[in-house]
Amino acid sequence: MNEKIDARGLACPQPVVLAKKSLETRNTVIVIVDNETARENVKRLGEKSGCTVSIEDTENGTFTLTLSKTDTVQPTGDITPVPSSSATGPNVFVISANTMGGGDDELGELLMKAFIHTIFDLDYLPDTLIFYNTGVKLAVKDSDVLDDLKQLEHDGVEILVCGTCANFFNIQDDIAVGIVSNMYDIAGTMSRAGRIVTP
Amino acid sequence: MMSLQSYCVVLFKSVSHAMRAEKILKNDKIPFKIIPVPKSISSECGVCIRFTPEYKEDIEAVLNGTVEYSDIRELH
Repeated sequence: MNEKIDARGLACPQPVVLAKKSLETRNTVIVIVDNETARENVKRLGEKSGCTVSIEDTENGTFTLTLSKTDTVQPTGDITPVPSSSATGPNVFVISANTMGGGDDELGELLMKAFIHTIFDLDYLPDTLIFYNTGVKLAVKDSDVLDDLKQLEHDGVEILVCGTCANFFNIQDDIAVGIVSNMYDIAGTMSRAGRIVTP
Repeated sequence: MMSLQSYCVVLFKSVSHAMRAEKILKNDKIPFKIIPVPKSISSECGVCIRFTPEYKEDIEAVLNGTVEYSDIRELH
């Protein structure tokens, strides 16, 4: 009743897609991946699907993850509502660019820095901050807003950074805050949101 | 985060001056942050540069003669 998926060489989010599909019909799924991001994403999928996850790191840079459904554990994440400041669902801020508004990029970058700093003073703190497209550039180690983001994360704000985007800009090794995430988590979080704020 | 200590802000008449100051301070590796002008201060331009008091002299030295600014204030 288990399936072995060789997801080496597959681009994000393919490993997660295959694992998720396989979990629909099987109790145990073994996934082999060849990079850290895929390892984390598959691991999170397993945890959210109510599986126990064991990971074996092999010497040649690949990881073998075994996802086993447990009878007693109910799936979390997709079903349990996330704690929230509003009654209807989490408050989600979507940072889809490193600029605030379109028109002048230099002005937009300045405004975005001021916006992120202002989050601390808001009446309704976000539950989750999502960064995608050029927004991911705000989460790198030499970002001007890194310490603000780290403080928000420390204060309990979940920070999701689009892994596909970080990969596209070739900054995946420079991401210094939050969780490198995938479309499932990002789209899922947005779909469960009580409201979405996009600067 | 610097929010609990006192801090200083440089105020500008125009956003373009704030942007120029940002570039210069970045080049000189002086730590600072772009923030909206605190509500308690009125200013013609909505953003200012925030820094810890220890850098006040450095910042004055760097900005004087290069960028026009309207004021440097210490806030608590």
